[in-house]
Amino acid sequence: MAEPGLISDHLATLSAHLPPQLVEELADGLDQTYRHYVQQGLADDAAAEAAIAEFGEPQMIVAAFARTSPARHAARRLLATGPVVGACWAAALVTGRAWAWPVPTGARIGFGVALITVISLLASAALGSRYRTIGRAGTAGCAGIAALDTAMLIFVTVTVPAMAWPLTLALTVSAARIIFTTRTLSLMRTG
Amino acid sequence: MRAEELKGHLDALLLAALEDGPRHGYAVMEVLRQSTGGRLDLPTGTIYPALRRLEHAGLISGSWSVVGGRRRRAYRLTAAGSRALSGKRADWRDFVTVVNAALDGRPWPSPA
Repeated sequence: MAEPGLISDHLATLSAHLPPQLVEELADGLDQTYRHYVQQGLADDAAAEAAIAEFGEPQMIVAAFARTSPARHAARRLLATGPVVGACWAAALVTGRAWAWPVPTGARIGFGVALITVISLLASAALGSRYRTIGRAGTAGCAGIAALDTAMLIFVTVTVPAMAWPLTLALTVSAARIIFTTRTLSLMRTG
Repeated sequence: MRAEELKGHLDALLLAALEDGPRHGYAVMEVLRQSTGGRLDLPTGTIYPALRRLEHAGLISGSWSVVGGRRRRAYRLTAAGSRALSGKRADWRDFVTVVNAALDGRPWPSPA
């Protein structure tokens, strides 16, 4: 059964906003809805119109996918827990007199810029309305957070000989966040 | 019944529709339509994001197959999904009992 132009147009609009796997699943559902109306005796165009009316507007479907995006949920969790992790690190750095650590100024500035960039990416994923933007920003933000946590973990382990409990706590929190972001990135790849 | 009225209950409905075995999105909608006598006014396209959300939560799992030359994704309940459905059913029955009691002005049912 050939696909009427109305349905092709609907799927083309969805393809512009959603990844191929999601569109494939929607295409199957839309095709079955269309066939249902053809079997009920409607002409091809009328069946296509009825199927699209029942299926819903592309904008509504894309918005529903955006709301349920795992990248958006991960970004929101990371932003919500960020202040706690930040407070742990602030306490660790102050008690450990981090200003005396042998870190070049360029590296300190680079870390700060990277942190601001990652927070911006997460905010974009948490608040965005475009599915693809949410996915890309969320993935980049999660990867960025994991990279920053890993960098801190390696740096502190290598350079700080005696760790006070605030630093151990900050490292534990960062390690937990690395596990969370790694799992989330894996989920985003498969989802 | 419109989509807005279903907020908070859609997950339970979708899980219940998958209780008898694996189904794809359209079949899930058909089950809901048949079981409610067609009273659910839910755009079919919005079922798919909800199914993906339940999959990400580990309550259902999806797998692809090829039917009539077209790829089709079917979902089945996981063990966590079955437990979640039981919990949601119990919550719903409690909710209905409470609201019915309040609406009908009846006293709260005393234990036998």
